Amino acid sequence: MAALFEISEPGASHAKEACTTGAVGIDLGTTNSLVAIVLGDGKPHALAVDEGSTLLPSVVHYAPQGGPGSVVVGREARRRAADYPRDTIVSVKRFMGRSSADPETRRLSPYQFAAGQSGVVRFEVNGGRVVNPVEVSAEILRALRSRAEERLGIKVQQAVITVPAYFDDAQRQATKEAGRLAGLEVLRLLNEPTAAALAYGLDKRSQGTFAVYDLGGGTFDISILKLVEGLFEVKAVGGDSALGGDDFDRALAEILLGSEERTPRRVREAIDAAKQAKEDLTRAESVEVWGRKITRARLEEAIKPLIEKTGPACRRALRDAGVPEGKGLDGVILVGGSTRVPAVRRFVRELFGMEPLADIDPDEVVALGAAVQADLLTSESPQHDVLLLDVTPLSLGLETMGGLVEKLILRNTTIPTNAAQEFTTFADGQTGMDIHVLQGERELVTDCRSLAKFTLGGIPPLPAGLARVAVTFQVDADGILSVTAREQLTGVSQTITVKPSHGLTDEEIERMLLSSIEHAEEDVQARLLIDNRVEAQRILKAAETQLESNGDLLSPEERAQIESQMAALVLATQGSDHHQIKEQIERLDHASAEFARRVMDRGIERALKGHSVGEFDQGEMSPHAKKAYEALERQEK
Amino acid sequence: MRKCWQCGGEVAPADALCPSCGKVQPPIPAGTQVDKFALLGFGQSLDLDEAALDEKFRGLSRKLHPDRFARASAQERRYSLEQTTLLNDAYKTLKDPARRAEHLLELRGVKGEPKMSPEFLEQTLEDRERLMEAKASGQPLDELARGVREKRDATLAEARALLGNGGDLSRAAELIARMRYYARYLDEVEGRGAEI
Repeated sequence: MAALFEISEPGASHAKEACTTGAVGIDLGTTNSLVAIVLGDGKPHALAVDEGSTLLPSVVHYAPQGGPGSVVVGREARRRAADYPRDTIVSVKRFMGRSSADPETRRLSPYQFAAGQSGVVRFEVNGGRVVNPVEVSAEILRALRSRAEERLGIKVQQAVITVPAYFDDAQRQATKEAGRLAGLEVLRLLNEPTAAALAYGLDKRSQGTFAVYDLGGGTFDISILKLVEGLFEVKAVGGDSALGGDDFDRALAEILLGSEERTPRRVREAIDAAKQAKEDLTRAESVEVWGRKITRARLEEAIKPLIEKTGPACRRALRDAGVPEGKGLDGVILVGGSTRVPAVRRFVRELFGMEPLADIDPDEVVALGAAVQADLLTSESPQHDVLLLDVTPLSLGLETMGGLVEKLILRNTTIPTNAAQEFTTFADGQTGMDIHVLQGERELVTDCRSLAKFTLGGIPPLPAGLARVAVTFQVDADGILSVTAREQLTGVSQTITVKPSHGLTDEEIERMLLSSIEHAEEDVQARLLIDNRVEAQRILKAAETQLESNGDLLSPEERAQIESQMAALVLATQGSDHHQIKEQIERLDHASAEFARRVMDRGIERALKGHSVGEFDQGEMSPHAKKAYEALERQEK
Repeated sequence: MRKCWQCGGEVAPADALCPSCGKVQPPIPAGTQVDKFALLGFGQSLDLDEAALDEKFRGLSRKLHPDRFARASAQERRYSLEQTTLLNDAYKTLKDPARRAEHLLELRGVKGEPKMSPEFLEQTLEDRERLMEAKASGQPLDELARGVREKRDATLAEARALLGNGGDLSRAAELIARMRYYARYLDEVEGRGAEI
């Protein structure tokens, strides 16, 4: 407690009040995790939680014996990593939302993955225990919580936990779940860059448009934020959920290992040595590693392609935010330990054309911002009138005919938000509809990330296209999505909160986003092909139905002609040339125009109950019949 | 007029907060036509002061955002979520001139895709071709952009006049649809919008 009073000196009278709320901010990082709290002085302070440091290495070691003490977190765990690489989980955040089949997961990774689970990452550790990334993350949170309680002398029950802006729905849910497992009420998930800006905004009372360049251990985020009178608007976010300082270490470790045999232990040692060398090279021009001289230039050469990978995401975010390149930015905030690397700072300076801000410790800034947010959410009378308006990081949509994605909510939409879309049945008498919720920027279902699938049943059996199902998306202030499907006639409805089993991801978000641009043209072609195929099927079906019920209106020659055009269209749909399909659709249209006119005539005849169409002049026609004629004429054009 | 669920005072349909007691109100029932102008405290108009719109949006966000209701009742938290959702949508609509114009038409009963004249479509194809050529040969695009900007401004002026004096609304709808083409063209000149 003595230490606490020292820190909170300026507003000591409030210290107790502020602390009894026990609402902390937690930065659950890839490499290090931190916990911070706003004290009586109204300022956030990071708490020393591991051997006097505010940084708790996000490393969890599972010792052989069961029971308490068998799980070790932090520096002590990191020290054991080299001896027990398989029982010590580092950078677990990178496995959140990753499949074990992912080549990146296996690359240089010393873990023993438990078998039998399709796609789920599960680590097999000491004593045959099997743990998943959520459980490992919960151990880190539990350690932060109990050590903060020790420091503060009060119970800590509520927390704001930060996540990369890029985390998708599954990863957010997993993080919340980890918080709950650790006995914390998660007040809010906060995007890391937003938290950083919050810390800066309060300290500096900044106004203007800012870029937050966050290069951590395992993730890269770029955010464009607008700050006006204490209100933070997130204008755009982007990034790469699998890029960070760990990659720098690995790049250097590759050099150190060379052609050596790669045992788990040797790999871990190489990575540790590389990490140390990287940190030393921030100041030194060269270091000695494993009896070799590594210069800063050598390191920079190895990591240059990695640093440059951050460029396109930055430019895209600026564009999404409507900020012209080179103008309109008032500052760039650096977040994440990896921004200490001189080559990174140089790159940022050149990219944005200005000297980046780094006044606040880039390792602590996110936790400090989270503490501010926790304070805002729990204080009776908030000391700062600050509000955050966040956006959706990726577009959300639904699967439609032919494996296409219909986007309902575009990326970078301010949340909370909702959107609705009506869908109709495709087949006669269809009583169920599959609702497939997707996330991503690409046009095809197979290229996007599947969030949830469910079936709305109980649709009244009606001819195709008559039953209508309204699907509504609602995204709340945490960025979590719920989906409702409702059939309009009967009111049958179903709602789900998209909550996929944590850590189940088969696609990589950053790949999806980056490739959405590379594949823009390819996607358009694929979409046109599918659109035309769907259209062809519809027309073929209609023609078949009409031939069946009104075939008597045709002479055998006429019928044969239509049928041969139908066959040609069927053939075209087997191919992948959308021009060809379109052309055949038009030919069939043309060949069946006269038939359509006769069918229409017969319909009108029946509608007019016994009157023959011939009795009516155009002028005397009922509005309904007139409309039918007009439609017919248009069709013939 | 509705009644406030808390104090029973009168609340206008577009009011998110009760003018008497300041409590957050349930949103307009689903299926009702929402006047997004009224929601943000503006009259229905094609022209809006963007700075005033931003200001109003921020002011309302400050009061309505779910973060402001973290300690409120479940009912108020739900109202806050729904009202903020409406607010964000209204702001997005009004912020974009083309969307704003479409909403204005919608409020006046004009819906659906307007028919574009073949002459106009031909013209846009030509404009686009010229843009592609200029891009391919590396010519400066300023001249082309200026031409399209002038057309856009003239179109906007005509649409504004029609909407102002209650003229031919379907003509106005077509003009506003043209604005979208112009906007897309200008986006392309400035290298935006290759995605989506």
